[in-house]
Amino acid sequence: MPAPRLIVYACAALLAASISYGLLRMPLQVHDALDEIVAAERSPGVWASFTSTIGETTYFRPLRIAETKLLFDVSGGHYFAAYKLFHIALLAAVFALFLGELRIETWTDAAAALFALTVFIGLHTFLGFVREAFPINHFLQVAVLVLATVRLARARPGLLVDVAANAALVAACLTLESGVLVWVAAAASRLAGRRGISDRALVVMTVLLAVYGAVRFVWLAPNVQAMTNASGYFFERLEGPQIRERFGAGLSRFTVYNVLASIASVLFSEPRGGVFVFFRAWSMDDIPPRMWINVVTSTLTTSFILVALIRTRNRELLVFLAVLLASAAASFAYAKDEIMSVAGVFYAIAAFWAVRSVLMRAYRPPAAVMFALVLIVAATGWSVRTIGVNHVLRAQAFAVHNDWAVIPETMEQRGTWPADPATRSLVIDLRDQSLAKPIVNPWFMARWADRVFEGDYF
Amino acid sequence: MTRSLLVIACAIPPLIAVGISAVIVVTAAAGGSPPFWRGGTLTLSEAAALRDQGEVTRLTVSGTDPNAVYPLRPGVIAAGALTPLEAAVGARRAEMVELLMLRGARVDPSGWRRLHCFALGTGAADVVQMLERYTPANATASCEGITTPF
Repeated sequence: MPAPRLIVYACAALLAASISYGLLRMPLQVHDALDEIVAAERSPGVWASFTSTIGETTYFRPLRIAETKLLFDVSGGHYFAAYKLFHIALLAAVFALFLGELRIETWTDAAAALFALTVFIGLHTFLGFVREAFPINHFLQVAVLVLATVRLARARPGLLVDVAANAALVAACLTLESGVLVWVAAAASRLAGRRGISDRALVVMTVLLAVYGAVRFVWLAPNVQAMTNASGYFFERLEGPQIRERFGAGLSRFTVYNVLASIASVLFSEPRGGVFVFFRAWSMDDIPPRMWINVVTSTLTTSFILVALIRTRNRELLVFLAVLLASAAASFAYAKDEIMSVAGVFYAIAAFWAVRSVLMRAYRPPAAVMFALVLIVAATGWSVRTIGVNHVLRAQAFAVHNDWAVIPETMEQRGTWPADPATRSLVIDLRDQSLAKPIVNPWFMARWADRVFEGDYF
Repeated sequence: MTRSLLVIACAIPPLIAVGISAVIVVTAAAGGSPPFWRGGTLTLSEAAALRDQGEVTRLTVSGTDPNAVYPLRPGVIAAGALTPLEAAVGARRAEMVELLMLRGARVDPSGWRRLHCFALGTGAADVVQMLERYTPANATASCEGITTPF
């Protein structure tokens, strides 16, 4: 392996290891995870879990439910270890597949790859991979499957590649609605000239996609627009009923806003969850450094990508554009940063090709100094954002720790406190294990950290 | 020459980020407390003042008395030692008052009167309302002769 690639891989391993440490310091979460674990305990088997929610809810994510059950059963009572190790394994896979998309032969490539690594981790959409788990992080799982499909598109054609690509599509669609991005990535890879997945396999994938669409959007949930999720609109955050009252249930300017806001969120780190937090802070005369860092780094990097797209017409960027547009389209009902998390990964890959093309060009000394200054500003900002992920994980660990404090009382209030003594014992065990983890109170953190590193905007 | 300048500008900041990550990993591997994960232990009253519900539950479940007086380090709240309920009221944490009551804190009429007056002094209406949910029999709401400890 060439030395530049080896160095980049070692750096990526260290960055991934520090994030994994943060995951291990965070208890299993309560919201959207405890009920899933309790359901896994009650379920008689993996297949029963797989079929348990089909037709019962507007969501169609049976594979995640089945995986939750499978991990529960194989954990041997070590639930924290099982779910966390699976999360870390997915994280390692997404790092490995991301690096596999970067061509690193020279030290120039290595510099661009290091820059791209900080974009990959530092972009706010990455937080969707690590901040929560339900108890399996389905956003991360879909990202792994999409990247794996793009990888297959570059492999030597063959039956195994075709089967694997179709399996990836089925697995992704049964995990999360964003799973359709597997098809988008496969089709865009084909347009970009990658011939690993055959035409026949692409046709089968298209048929599978159509079947999925019919099941998900016709049979299970014909009125997707009626979803009640909260979302941002310019400077305010609206609850589901407010959205329907103001914009109705059909296609509206709110739908268009969500799609455009989602694209802008990846390209400029604004708006966040549909809310223009930077401009809202500006109107209040208090823009914390983290917002400047977010907007400046993203704007500079998007400028690099735009220039690279115009100058080089690099077909590698086609997959990024396709995933970005498809992810944004999937956000039509409500804007959520996590929905754009796969697009964020491909944004970082696009940043690699763009920065590489900046580094490869010959400049006169004054222009070189100017570009060096721009690069150092962008790279420094992205590095701060990357380190900030540790801060976010620590803050999230504190929040999750506190959520456990009011268990079982919260479950009693919601009417979900189980009647079965064994299940009650499981919940109390999980609570006691979670509370026993040493968590750092935010009081011990320097005040400047909240202003420099990423925080919760809502 | 110019390319070297650009490569250095592009690579140095990420390498610093990698260095900080390496410190986190190495410190954790050595059994230490790495950056971002360093802190100290809290008394029950400090946990109540610093909205650390998890620590309050952990301490009370493990047998710490929720009605005793505990010291507070400077900067947490302007008092040297308080009961957890007093600390929660002083920090204007209605949800913490509720949690402490759930976890075994008790107030007699005179203690409740003191807390109620402290809460009125802080101006936190939600804390006052929360305390009023736990008004003991025979308690009076007069604040005559009561001085706030913070």
